[in-house]
Amino acid sequence: MVGLSIGEQHFVKGGIAQDLRTDGRKRLTYRPIYVETGVIPQANGSARVRIGGTDVIASVKAEIGRPSSLQPDKGKVAVFIDCSPTAEPTFGGRGGEELSSELALALQRCLLGGKSGAGAGINLSSLLIKEGKVCWDLYIDGLVISSDGNLLDALGAAIKAALTNTAIPKVQVSAEVADDEQPEIDISDEEYQQFDTSSVPVIVTLTKVGAHYIVDATTEEESQMSSAVSISVNRVGHICGLTKRGGCGLDPSVILDMISVAKHVSESLMNKLDSEISAAEACEDES
Amino acid sequence: MGLPDSSQDLSSEMEVDAFRKIFPLRFFERHLSESLRPDGRPLGKARDTIVNLGLVSSADGSALAKIGYTTMLAAIRMEVMTPSTDSPDEGCIAVEFHMPPICSPTVRPGRPADAAPVISKRLLDTISSCNMIDLKELCLVSGKAAWMGYLDIYCLDADGALFDAALLSAVAAFSNLQIPVVALNDNGRIVAITGEEKQDNASITEKEAVNKERRKLTLKNIPFSLTCILHKNYILADPTAEEESIMDTLVTVVLDSSDQIVSFNKSGGNALAHTSAIKSCVELAKKRGNELKQILGEMDVD
Amino acid sequence: MASKPGAATSTYSPKIVARTRPPIFKDSDLDWTRPDGRGFHQCRPALLQTGAVSSASGSAYAEFGNTKVIVSVFGPRESKKAMVYSDVGRLNCNVSYTTFASPSAGQGTDHKEYSSMLHKALEGVIMTETFPKTTVDVFALVLESGGSDLPVVISCASLALVDAGIMMYDLITAVSVSCIGKSLMIDPVTEEEGCEDGSFTMTCMPSRYEITQLTITGEWTTPNINEAMQLCLDACSKLGEIMRDCLKQAASASDE
Repeated sequence: MVGLSIGEQHFVKGGIAQDLRTDGRKRLTYRPIYVETGVIPQANGSARVRIGGTDVIASVKAEIGRPSSLQPDKGKVAVFIDCSPTAEPTFGGRGGEELSSELALALQRCLLGGKSGAGAGINLSSLLIKEGKVCWDLYIDGLVISSDGNLLDALGAAIKAALTNTAIPKVQVSAEVADDEQPEIDISDEEYQQFDTSSVPVIVTLTKVGAHYIVDATTEEESQMSSAVSISVNRVGHICGLTKRGGCGLDPSVILDMISVAKHVSESLMNKLDSEISAAEACEDES
Repeated sequence: MGLPDSSQDLSSEMEVDAFRKIFPLRFFERHLSESLRPDGRPLGKARDTIVNLGLVSSADGSALAKIGYTTMLAAIRMEVMTPSTDSPDEGCIAVEFHMPPICSPTVRPGRPADAAPVISKRLLDTISSCNMIDLKELCLVSGKAAWMGYLDIYCLDADGALFDAALLSAVAAFSNLQIPVVALNDNGRIVAITGEEKQDNASITEKEAVNKERRKLTLKNIPFSLTCILHKNYILADPTAEEESIMDTLVTVVLDSSDQIVSFNKSGGNALAHTSAIKSCVELAKKRGNELKQILGEMDVD
Repeated sequence: MASKPGAATSTYSPKIVARTRPPIFKDSDLDWTRPDGRGFHQCRPALLQTGAVSSASGSAYAEFGNTKVIVSVFGPRESKKAMVYSDVGRLNCNVSYTTFASPSAGQGTDHKEYSSMLHKALEGVIMTETFPKTTVDVFALVLESGGSDLPVVISCASLALVDAGIMMYDLITAVSVSCIGKSLMIDPVTEEEGCEDGSFTMTCMPSRYEITQLTITGEWTTPNINEAMQLCLDACSKLGEIMRDCLKQAASASDE
């Protein structure tokens, strides 16, 4: 936890009220974002994202699995987040577990869309290999290495980058088998399939401090927040998920206002992130 | 009874509620000496009992039983299993008693109550030993398929005499149980058939329908139970949670429809039970059994 | 023998699992009705009752269609020994389901997150400074799940908290809206939740006109969000009045 003196608290709040934050940013300005892909060679895809002092790694692992009996025409995706106690002493023990599961739930909500699959960042049907028998199980793991606020946005960006970096081997399924037997699978070593990440949304968290709200809050600023709303927006400007943190109530009109601001901010963030990701990919190819 | 004078003096000065909290045993003994209990009941009388049937629409049979404040919700789900080779033409029944954290301040989430597995076991023993259900009735295809009845009883409010209420709700749920209409399909699996499907679909002939119409089980022998507290010379029927916590010699008598003893349980406690006391308990249980029979009988008429 | 416990026989339910997705209805198709015959913007009738569990400090029972929920509140009581000193009270929430809550047993969705979502919905409205050093436990049991379970649990929990005499800024009401195709349906049932394109769950304080929790999943356009929010706000204020009436009745009954 950050212990701020009353003077410091006033400084942070006063700066936000005057649209000049402690690090010189405006209310709706992000810190510089750095993206690095392919940081974990043994994973199918991975990326490291740094936003200011916040540093996270996301990795994607694909395994052959069996579709659930309720949804035989879809693959499965699981999101796990680990908040390392080295990032912040309070992440040790139960505090970290609670935060981890909260982040994982929020990310799952943003990435997987509704029950019918509408608005999903990852098309679950594309993970299917043979209906009711074989599919890909994607395990998305996020690790928080260093924390300086705005974890959810950073993790969302890292997962987007990791998915872009992901290559899934092509699979051949032996043609005919009896109804109740598993077909034989042949996984290719050479041919890989890229993942379509155009519909993966970005997450914009608006943190309300005093009467104003800011994007990309640092830990100091988060300690002064009354509530925060995380909104995930996809490329066409549709809302794919929304989570609210903090107990304070918000007026309905404020939330609607936040949603329109988030949509606006997401456009530039999406473009920035896309160019960073393609630069990182190009850089990885060269090396 | 020989109460020490000191507490008698205190009781005249102290507020009743405070006295009840500080000297619970004396508070009760004062009442008992007047042959009355704090809730106004005579010693041998059970609390008001209500039974409601068929409240859970997602189950095949269900019942809610209330004895005083103690509330039990029982529901039965029927599933299909392959019977064991020892008894190829018999179905099976599994009983589980749950005490969710909502029912009592002593139960916390993540830590199941100690009493729950004990009551589960006793319920299962009682239901199986009194031959209430003919397991052969649960057979679908001999050696191939039979019904497995999952009976789950949830304690919604725990205020003493849990076993009595749980058994009552279990019996009522079985009387409410409707066995679904099923047919055997080509793969040897049992499938459910709805009314419309039966008319539309000619492929399911009369022969394939294993269980042609929704039917009820015949309950041959119905067990009723009564829990009593033995304290000094007193016998208190149907104790509340407060009474159970103060006086700890509990005796549970289970009788069947023809007043035969199905089970008798005296679990520990520091008082030794005299033969005469046990006889009185059985007498009380007989009376209680008739009461409960009447309550369940009214249900059947509806 | 009546039964063989422990015999690990695998069983299956012979029930029919509906897999068909209802057709998507266009805006013009207004005469289509929902599985239970309601209009799109019509909530299920609510049955609310306080004082359902005698051994709890406060409790409530809620029945919205087939969704049946009991919530018990215990405390304020001593916090666990391991807890450090705190000058505000703690709130501990737990939501569990009965084994027969949903027709397809064991295959239901995971409800682990409901406990923390209930906690988040309630924490902003309880005056925790009025019970320092102690814990209030809010336990919910879903007896039967018929759709919109979490909103019903939250509303029921707020009644139970009032019944227990816990100080709050306002009542808490929760309503959810499902988006299927182009239509919005308020207070969805299980069948509708199973095929929805998006879900919108809102928790608010009706008298203060403030939103304490909002969760959106699936794909939503801004006009849809505006409409859903207005629907939820209206429904929440109506539900708030029903809950107030229920509490007034309980209070006048106890006065007599």
